[in-house]
Amino acid sequence: MEKSRSRTSVGFWLVMLLVGCMFSLPVVAQSQGADARREALQSMPGTTPDFWRDAAGGVSGRTTSQSVGADTLIMTEGERWKEIRNEWISPGGLLALGGSLTGITFFYLLVGRVKLEHPRTGKRIERWTRWDRVIHWYVATLFIILALTGLSILYAKWFLMPILPTSLWSAWMIAAKNIHNYLGPLFSLGVLVMIVKWIKHNFFNLVDLKWFIKGGGIVGKGHPSAGYLNGGEKVWFWMIVFVGLTVAVSGLVLDFPNFGQTRETMQLFLIIHAVSSLVLMAAAFGHIYIGTLGTEGAFEGMKTGYVDESWAKQHHDLWYEEVTQKQNKS
Amino acid sequence: MARMKFLCDSERCIECNGCVTACKNANETEWGIQRRRVVTLDDGEVGKEVSISVACMHCTDAPCMAVCPTDCFYPTEDGLILHNKDACIGCGYCLYACPFGAPQFPQQGAFGARGKMDKCTFCAGGPESDPVLEEQKYGANRLREGKLPLCAEMCSTKALLAGDAQQVADIFRERVVYRGHRNSAWGSADHEADQSEQLAKNAADLAYDATQSV
Amino acid sequence: MRLHKKVSDSSLDSQSANRLGVSRRGFLKGTSLAAGGIAATGLLGKTMIRPTQAATPKSSAPVEIKRTICSHCSVGCGVYAHVQNGVWTYQEAAFDNPINKGAHCAKGAALRYHGHSTRRLKYPMKLENGQWKKLSWEQAINEVGDKIEQIRAESGPDSVFWLGSAKFNNEQAYLFRKMVSLWGTNNVEHQARICHSTTVAGVANTWGYGAMTNSYNDMQNSRSMLFIGSNAAEAHPVSMQHVLIAKERNNCKIVVADPRFTRTAAKANQYVRIRPGSDVAYVWGLLWHIFANGWEDKQYLAQRVYGMDEIREEIKQFPPEVVQDITGVDEQTMYQTAKLLSDNRPGCVVWCMGGTQHTTGNNNTRAYCILELALGNIGKSGGGANIFRGHDNVQGATDFGVLSDSLPGYYGLADGAWKHWAGVWGVDFEWIQNRFDQTEYRGGKPMNTNGITVSRWVDGVLEDKEKMAQNDNIRAMFYWGHAVNSQTRGPEMREAMKKLDMMVIVDPYPTVAAVMNDRTDGVYLLPACTQFETYGSVTASNRSIQWRSKVIEPHFESKPDHEIMYLLAKKVGIEEQVFKNIAINGNEPLIEDIVREYNRGMWTIGYTGQSPERLKYHQENWHAFDFTSLRAVGTDAHGDFYGLPWPCWGTAEMKHPGTHVLYDTSLPVKDGGLGFRANFGVERNGQTLLAEGSAPVGNEIGDGHPEFTAAMLQQLGWWDDLTDAEKTAAEGKDWKTDLSGGIQRVAIKHGCAPFGNGKARTVVWTFPDAIPKHREPLYTTRRDLVAKYPTWDDFESLYRMPTLYKTIQDRDTSAEFPIILTSGRLVEYEGGGDETRSNPWLAELQQDMFVEINPFNANTLRIADGDDVWVYGPEGGRVRVKAMVTNRVDRDVAFMPFHFGGEFQGEDLRKRYPAGSDPYVLGEAVNTVTTYGYDPVTLMQETKCTVCRIEKAA
Ligand code: SF4
Ligand code: SF4
Ligand code: SF4
Ligand code: SF4
Repeated sequence: MEKSRSRTSVGFWLVMLLVGCMFSLPVVAQSQGADARREALQSMPGTTPDFWRDAAGGVSGRTTSQSVGADTLIMTEGERWKEIRNEWISPGGLLALGGSLTGITFFYLLVGRVKLEHPRTGKRIERWTRWDRVIHWYVATLFIILALTGLSILYAKWFLMPILPTSLWSAWMIAAKNIHNYLGPLFSLGVLVMIVKWIKHNFFNLVDLKWFIKGGGIVGKGHPSAGYLNGGEKVWFWMIVFVGLTVAVSGLVLDFPNFGQTRETMQLFLIIHAVSSLVLMAAAFGHIYIGTLGTEGAFEGMKTGYVDESWAKQHHDLWYEEVTQKQNKS
Repeated sequence: MARMKFLCDSERCIECNGCVTACKNANETEWGIQRRRVVTLDDGEVGKEVSISVACMHCTDAPCMAVCPTDCFYPTEDGLILHNKDACIGCGYCLYACPFGAPQFPQQGAFGARGKMDKCTFCAGGPESDPVLEEQKYGANRLREGKLPLCAEMCSTKALLAGDAQQVADIFRERVVYRGHRNSAWGSADHEADQSEQLAKNAADLAYDATQSV
Repeated sequence: MRLHKKVSDSSLDSQSANRLGVSRRGFLKGTSLAAGGIAATGLLGKTMIRPTQAATPKSSAPVEIKRTICSHCSVGCGVYAHVQNGVWTYQEAAFDNPINKGAHCAKGAALRYHGHSTRRLKYPMKLENGQWKKLSWEQAINEVGDKIEQIRAESGPDSVFWLGSAKFNNEQAYLFRKMVSLWGTNNVEHQARICHSTTVAGVANTWGYGAMTNSYNDMQNSRSMLFIGSNAAEAHPVSMQHVLIAKERNNCKIVVADPRFTRTAAKANQYVRIRPGSDVAYVWGLLWHIFANGWEDKQYLAQRVYGMDEIREEIKQFPPEVVQDITGVDEQTMYQTAKLLSDNRPGCVVWCMGGTQHTTGNNNTRAYCILELALGNIGKSGGGANIFRGHDNVQGATDFGVLSDSLPGYYGLADGAWKHWAGVWGVDFEWIQNRFDQTEYRGGKPMNTNGITVSRWVDGVLEDKEKMAQNDNIRAMFYWGHAVNSQTRGPEMREAMKKLDMMVIVDPYPTVAAVMNDRTDGVYLLPACTQFETYGSVTASNRSIQWRSKVIEPHFESKPDHEIMYLLAKKVGIEEQVFKNIAINGNEPLIEDIVREYNRGMWTIGYTGQSPERLKYHQENWHAFDFTSLRAVGTDAHGDFYGLPWPCWGTAEMKHPGTHVLYDTSLPVKDGGLGFRANFGVERNGQTLLAEGSAPVGNEIGDGHPEFTAAMLQQLGWWDDLTDAEKTAAEGKDWKTDLSGGIQRVAIKHGCAPFGNGKARTVVWTFPDAIPKHREPLYTTRRDLVAKYPTWDDFESLYRMPTLYKTIQDRDTSAEFPIILTSGRLVEYEGGGDETRSNPWLAELQQDMFVEINPFNANTLRIADGDDVWVYGPEGGRVRVKAMVTNRVDRDVAFMPFHFGGEFQGEDLRKRYPAGSDPYVLGEAVNTVTTYGYDPVTLMQETKCTVCRIEKAA
C-alpha cells in the first residue's frame, strides 16, 4: 500500500509540473512585434532610397564609438534573434521539457518501476569506482545548478518574478547569472574528463543492437543482454559527447565576450546554447528517471559504487559474467 | 499624453559629435559608454555620404524589453523605455536584440562580466527616488525639470530633434516643405528636376510617416 | 491557477507601473553591490582598459548661472554654466545666444569637463636633471625673470621670444603686446601667424580690413557659397547651422572645392576635387568663365574696384585646358560652378587654413577676394568673404597685435604708431625707445622692423646669427598658450629646443613642448588657468565681441594669464609703465580698466565704442538680438548689432551699433554702413583709387573721398562741429590718432566713414606678386609645372630671417615621395590638442592618430584599414600612425589631422609628462613630417601641401 501511495504522489507532482508548463506556454510564446524599420523611419526620416537600402540592410559605416557593432546603424538580425528566442525556443523548450516529463509520467503510470526480478543476494559487485562517482556527481551537480540557473534566465520572469518581491527577484537573477557564468566552465571541464574517462566503454557492438531491438526490455519477453553499459546508457553518453559538448563550447563563446565577438556571433551561439541545453535537459529527465525512480537498484550503484548481484545479472548479464569469471580466475 | 521621440535629420547632421559629448556632459557616463553615437554611411563617397545620430529609439514594443531575462525595462507614460539597473544582470541580451545598438556595457569581461547596462534614458533618469542617487546611477533627469534631452538641445545644426513626436514631426515637415517645394536638393547631389520631384514626394511621405507614431 | 493569474498580471503596462512603484521605494542596494563585486572580478578584455575620469559630485545646493563663451573656436558659441558651491555642475544650451542658439559641436558640448580636469598643470614646475620639480610661484617667477634679464644683458631684448596666444581674452592679448613692447622687442607672436596671417594681409590690402566681412548669421541670407579650403562641418560646426538654414530657406547653392571629400562637402550641391596648392588657378578658371560670359558685376566694378583689367589680362593665361592641367578640374565643372555662383547672388566665399597655409597663401586669399569683387558680392548682406578664424579669440589677438609686425589695432611699427600708443599708455616715447636694441640692422632698427615670426622661431634659434637682422639668436622662449605641434618641421624644432637657454611654458596643460624637447634642464612650467576661471571679452570671427563671466575659481595653483603678466612685469621692473592706467587687485590687473585703455587707442578698427558696460549689457541680453540680422530689438541696446562688431566707431557715448556687414553702402555709417577703406592712396597710374558714384547712404560728400584728418575737416568746413575739447585733441591728428574720437564723430555725423570711401584693389603693388600668381608648391609631384610656374627666388631677409624658395623647389623629390600630404582638422580636437585630448569626453572619440589613404594606394601598398604605417617626409621626419583607407582622399593625396602629439617618430613620450598631467590620448604630430615653406608676405607656414611616402609598418 505504501508503495502505491508513493507512486501516486510522485505521479501527482509530475502531472502538476506538466500542467505548469502547458499553462505558461501561451504566456511565454506571446508575440511582441517591434519593428525596427518603423522606428527608424520615424526617427531618421529623409535621405535617399539608397540610404535606406543600406541602412536597413545592416550596412556598416564609420563611427567614433568604440562599442561592439557601433558602426552598424541598424542591426536587422536582432529582430530575427528575438523572434527565434521568444517565439520558438522559449515555447519549444517548454514543449520539449514538458514532452519529456509527459513521456516519463505516462511511462511511470503505465509500466511502473522496473523491479528486481530476483531477490537481492546480498553479494555486492563494484560497478563504479570512486573516481567514476566523483566525476559523475561533479558533473551532475553542476548540471542541475546550471540547468536551474539557465532555466531561470530563460523562463523565470514568467514564473518567479510575479511571485517574488522585487528585491529577492533581482538578487536571485543576479546570482543565477553569475553562478551560471562562473560554474559553466567548470562543468565543461567535468564533461571533458568524463568523456575521456568513459569513452572506452561506450563503443556500440552487436549486443547493443539486440538490446535496441528489444527496446531495452520493453518489447518482448526477457531482459536483453547487456555488457558493462547497455545501449541506452551508451546513447546517453554519446548525447553528452555531442550535445553536451555543444552546450559547453557554445557556453564558453558566450561566457567570454572579451574576444570581440560580434552581436551576430553571440546571437547564433545563444540559439545553439539554448537549443542544445534544452535538448540535453529533456534527455536528462529520462536519465534521471531511469537512474532513480525507474529502476530499482540502479541508484545505489552510483551512490555507493556497488550493485547487488541480482541487479547486475538482470541488467548487465554479460558484464556480470565477465566480472564473475575474472573473480573465479583469480 | 505626449509620446517622446527622437528625429535625426540626415540632411543636416554633419557628424560633429556634439550630441555625443552633450550626452556625456548631461549624464557623465564613463569612458567607453556612449549612449549616443553618430554613424556615417558611405563615408567618403561623393554624393552618397550620410551621417545619422542614433541612440535608443524608445521603441514601441521594444525588443530589448522582450528578451530581458529579468524584465528590468519598463515603459513610461511618455513612451520611453527606461531601465532598472538594480535588476540588470548584465547578460547583454538587450544589446543582441536591439536594432540600434543602443545598450552599452561598461565592460566585456570574461565570465560575461559586463556590469550594468546603460543606455539613453531620453534624459529622464531612472527608477530611483533620491534625485542625487538617481543622477549618479542613471544620469540627468531633465524631463522632470521640464527640459528636453541635452543631445538634441545642443545639436550643432538642429539636425537632432527630440520631444513630443507630433511636434518633432511638424518641425521636420516644415523643413521638408521648404526643401521639396523649392525643388531643392534632397540628398547630397544636385538632382535632375524630375528626380527631385520624386524625391520631394518621398520626402513628404517620410514626413507623414514621421507623424504616425503610435 | 495562481501561477497563471500572476503571470498575466505582469503584462507590460501594469507590470511597469508596478515595478516603478516598488523600485521607487529604493530597495536592493545590497544586491547591486554584491553583483558589482562579482562582476568586477571578471577579466577586462583588451579593448576595455578604461581611463578613469573625474565625476562631478552632484548636489542640491543653490544654482548660480553664469554666461560664458566656448573657448574652442571662433564661432563663439554661448554657454550657460550652472555652478553649485563653486563647482561647475551643469551646462545648459544657451538658446538665446544669437550666434549659436544653444548649439554646440563636440568640443563645446564637452566644455564643462574643463572645469573638472585633473590632467592639468597643477603648480609651477621646472625640469632639473630630467625630473620635474615643484616650485613656488615666487621662485618660478624669480628664476625665469633673472634668466631673461641675464639674456637681455648679454644678447639684447630680442633674444627672448614671447609666443603668446589666441586663447587669451582681448584684455590679456592687449596686455601681452603692451608688456612685450615695453620689454623692448617685437619678437612677440601668436597663432594667427600660422592661421590666417595671409588672409589678414591679403584681404586688408584688397579692401581695408583683414577680417570676415559679414557674420555666420548673415550667411543665412546667402544664395550661394563657395567653400574653398574650409571644412566648416568639422572646424566650425555651428556655423553650419546658418549654412544649412540658407540651403533650406534660400535654396542656397553650396560648392565645396577641396582636395578631400569632407563632411562639409557631403552637404554641398557640388563637390569639386582640386589638387592641393592650385587655388589661384582654380579661381582664375572660374573667373575665365565669368568674364567670358559677361557675368561680372560691371557697375560694381566700375564704381568700387580698382585694377580688374589687369586681372582680366592675367586670366587670359588660364583657359580651361590650362586650368584642368593645374587643378585637375574639367571645363564643364568649372563652367557649372562659375554659372552657379553667378546665377545665385549674393554669395559668399568661405576659406580657412586650406587656403591660407601655403607658400602662396597671400595670393590665394587675394584671388578669393577678386572673385567676390567680380561677382559684386562684397558689402552686401548675404555676400562676403567669410574668413572663418580658428581659435576662439584669434580675431581679437590679431586685432590687438600679438604679432611681430604691428602694435595693437594694425597701427604698424613706425615711430608714429609708437607715439600714438605711448600717448595712450601715458608712457614716455623715449623711455620705450631705450628699452629696444638701437642698432640698425638690415631693414632698420628692431623697434621699427617686424620681429621673427612664430613660424620661424626654430630658425631664429638655429640660424647663423650673422644672417639675421637682430643682435643674436633667440635664447629663451615663452610658450604662453601655444601648441608647438601645430608648427611644421618637428625634428628641427626639437634641435632648436635643445639649443635654447630656457623654455618657459605658460599653459593650463603641459603641452607637447614640455615633452618633445629632449632636455634635462631649463624648462619651466607655469600653470595658467582657462578662460572659465577668469573673465573678459572675446572676439568671434564675425568681429562681435562677447563678454565672458568667470565660471569657477582657478584650479589648483593656476593663475589667470594677466596676473602672471603682472608678476613677470613686476619682476623685470616695468610694472609701473605697463599698469599705469590699470588698477591692480592683489596681483590681478583689473580687466575693465584694460578695456577702457584700449578703447582709448584702437581707433583704426573701431574697438573704441565697446565699453565694458556695453559689452556686459549685450551679454546680459542675448535674447534681444535677432538670429539672422544680429540686431537688437527692444532693451537699451535697441538697434545695436550683437557684440558691437568692429568697427564700432567713436566713443561708447556715441552709441555706434557696430558694423555687421562691412562695406555695406545700403546703410548710413552711423547704423553700420561703410564703403571700402581708402587706404592705398588716392590715385595710381592716373586712375582714381576712390569710389566713383558709390557711397554709404547719407554720405554728404556723395562720392569717394580719402580718410579723415583734421585738415580735411577744416577743408570741408566741418571743423566747428567739434567741441572745444575735441578740437584741442584733434589738432594735427587724423581719425586714427585723435584720442578724443571727435574726428570720427563728425565724419559719421555727415554720413562719412572715417577711413574714407575708396575702391577695393585687385592689384597689390607692394607685394611680391602684385597680381596673384599660380606658383607650384615648394614640394610638388608635378615637376612638369615647375618650369612654367616656379616659386620665388630666395629672400635674403624676411622678418629678420633669410627665407628659401627656389633652393627648396629645385630639389626633385617626386620619385621618392610620390604622394601629396595635406593636413587638417578633426571636430573633436582643437589646435595642438593638449586641452581637448585631456578631456575624456572628447578623447574617447578619437583615440588614434591616422592617415587617410585612398583604397587604390592602400591596396597597392598592401595596407589594410587600421594597419600601422610609417609616413615619411622629404626632410627626414617620419611618423607611425594608423591607416584609414577611404575615398575621402584621391589617389594622389594623403591626409593627416594635426591635433596629435606626445609621440615622436615612433617614440612614446608619455613618461616625460609631469605625473598625472599626461593627456588621455597621445599620437604622432603630423608636423613631424611637414616641411619648409613660407609665404613671402607673412611667413605663413606650408602645412597643406607637401609630399610623403607611406609604408606599412613592420
Ligand atoms: S534599447 Fe534598443 S530595442 Fe530597446 S527601446 Fe532602445 S532602441 Fe529599442
Ligand atoms: S536623450 Fe539624454 S541620455 Fe539619451 S542620448 Fe540624449 S543626452 Fe544621452
Ligand atoms: S550634434 Fe547634430 S549635427 Fe552634430 S553629429 Fe549630432 S546630430 Fe549630427
Ligand atoms: S568649438 Fe566652436 S562651434 Fe564648437 S561649440 Fe565651441 S564655439 Fe561652437
